Amino acid sequence: MKRAKNTLLYFYLVLGLFATMFLVHCGLTALTVTVPEQATVNERVTFVMHSGAEPRIEEPGTYTTQLLAGIMVPKSWNARANAVLTFTSPKGNGTMRMIPDSEIEPVSGVSWHQAAKNMFGIGPNLVDDFEWIVYRSTQSYTFRNNEDISFDVNVECNVGEENMLVRLGFYVGSSIENLRPEDTDYKKVAFSRVFEVTGGEGDLIDFVNPQLATVQPVRSLDNDIITLTFDAGVAHTVLDNQDAIYVTIQCFDEDGQLLAEVNEQTDKTRLTSIGGKRFLLDFWPRKYFNLERNQRIARLEYFCTDASGTQRVGYGNTEAPFTYTFRCQ
Amino acid sequence: MNINFLLPAVFMVVGLASLSSCEDEISNMSTAETEKDITGSWKVVQLTRNGEDLSQRLDLTDFRIDFNPDGTYTLADQLPFIADAPGTYRLSDPQYPFALILTPEGVQEDVVARFQFPVVKGKRQLSLSFSLGCESNSYQFNFERENQDL
Repeated sequence: MKRAKNTLLYFYLVLGLFATMFLVHCGLTALTVTVPEQATVNERVTFVMHSGAEPRIEEPGTYTTQLLAGIMVPKSWNARANAVLTFTSPKGNGTMRMIPDSEIEPVSGVSWHQAAKNMFGIGPNLVDDFEWIVYRSTQSYTFRNNEDISFDVNVECNVGEENMLVRLGFYVGSSIENLRPEDTDYKKVAFSRVFEVTGGEGDLIDFVNPQLATVQPVRSLDNDIITLTFDAGVAHTVLDNQDAIYVTIQCFDEDGQLLAEVNEQTDKTRLTSIGGKRFLLDFWPRKYFNLERNQRIARLEYFCTDASGTQRVGYGNTEAPFTYTFRCQ
Repeated sequence: MNINFLLPAVFMVVGLASLSSCEDEISNMSTAETEKDITGSWKVVQLTRNGEDLSQRLDLTDFRIDFNPDGTYTLADQLPFIADAPGTYRLSDPQYPFALILTPEGVQEDVVARFQFPVVKGKRQLSLSFSLGCESNSYQFNFERENQDL
């Protein structure tokens, strides 16, 4: 009797081991992407995702699913309106359709696009002005055991009219698996190398390289709540050993006239340390500068200073101020 | 033998009768959704911008709004909000509202916030979503009633 029990125990152990190995070997292969190094503004560019499927299914079972693919691009590209995703594979080629906003990703309870944003974030980029957009193949495909294939997803998209340095995000997945946090087999994510857009008017928007000071959200008006961040770890400055960082700040209207100035070292201007030599200050510009109802701020100019206000750091660690322009486009 | 046959039959009749009476009860029960009452003084307990929680980073003490029974509202202090003046308010629907519509004094157009009215940790919350500056930035303000007893 005892021997039979032991045999049964070993049998289950071996079965468990096989099941684990079987699971580990099932799913999608690693995702790689082909992205050109640069493009000129408004150019229509093709990005290619390369992946594959390795179905390990116990015969005679099959696995039927739809292909999912996602892209993370700057919002200013307006990719929802102009990106086209197609795929090629030995099981057939096809066009992919954007999943409607109204469709909820079952695990997270939010739309697929928001679920992807929550799960994958902005990768190696440092400033968030991105959207994830998730697409699904219109047809389902059925896989048998060991029916390994490679497939490519082609993304055609206009790159917008702003000069920028950016690392783009890509995702492939299987529709019936949803976006489960613990799943590593059926969702594959990759971020491109630095992609540069040139030839446009205006400042370069650098999503990739650390900057001494930034303002979030990237696009806002004076009635938004904005966050000013100072990253002392980016370069050696006169504020290197300071643990109290302040800001001295001026605001200007459309015509370049000075509207108001806050030049004091008090709690109102002190940035909060968030660790890693980074400091931030959140404020609502309209109240911060006590604006009249009819006044509108077009631009900010600011320096980061020490507690005395004498040591200050400006754009690129120079005597020029950091600037921020309020705009939505 | 007779009893064995009769007893289940009696039970069945009684059971069926009670079932049908249940049906009557259910059909007579009032299922009307209550009208949403948002009157009172509300303070902001959570504020998110594009999903990022700013509650701990901003001083929210003065973030208050009063909805009065006469259909007017007032803003306490200066508050980054869709309206910067007091005025009148109404819900898009008294029972199933999806929007709060404000008409600030001296403003021609109504301003609209997406409205939710959940109960969180036993307390009724008023949750309003809107944009303040650029449309690409969305804010969610979660209010709790001051001195509420639920």
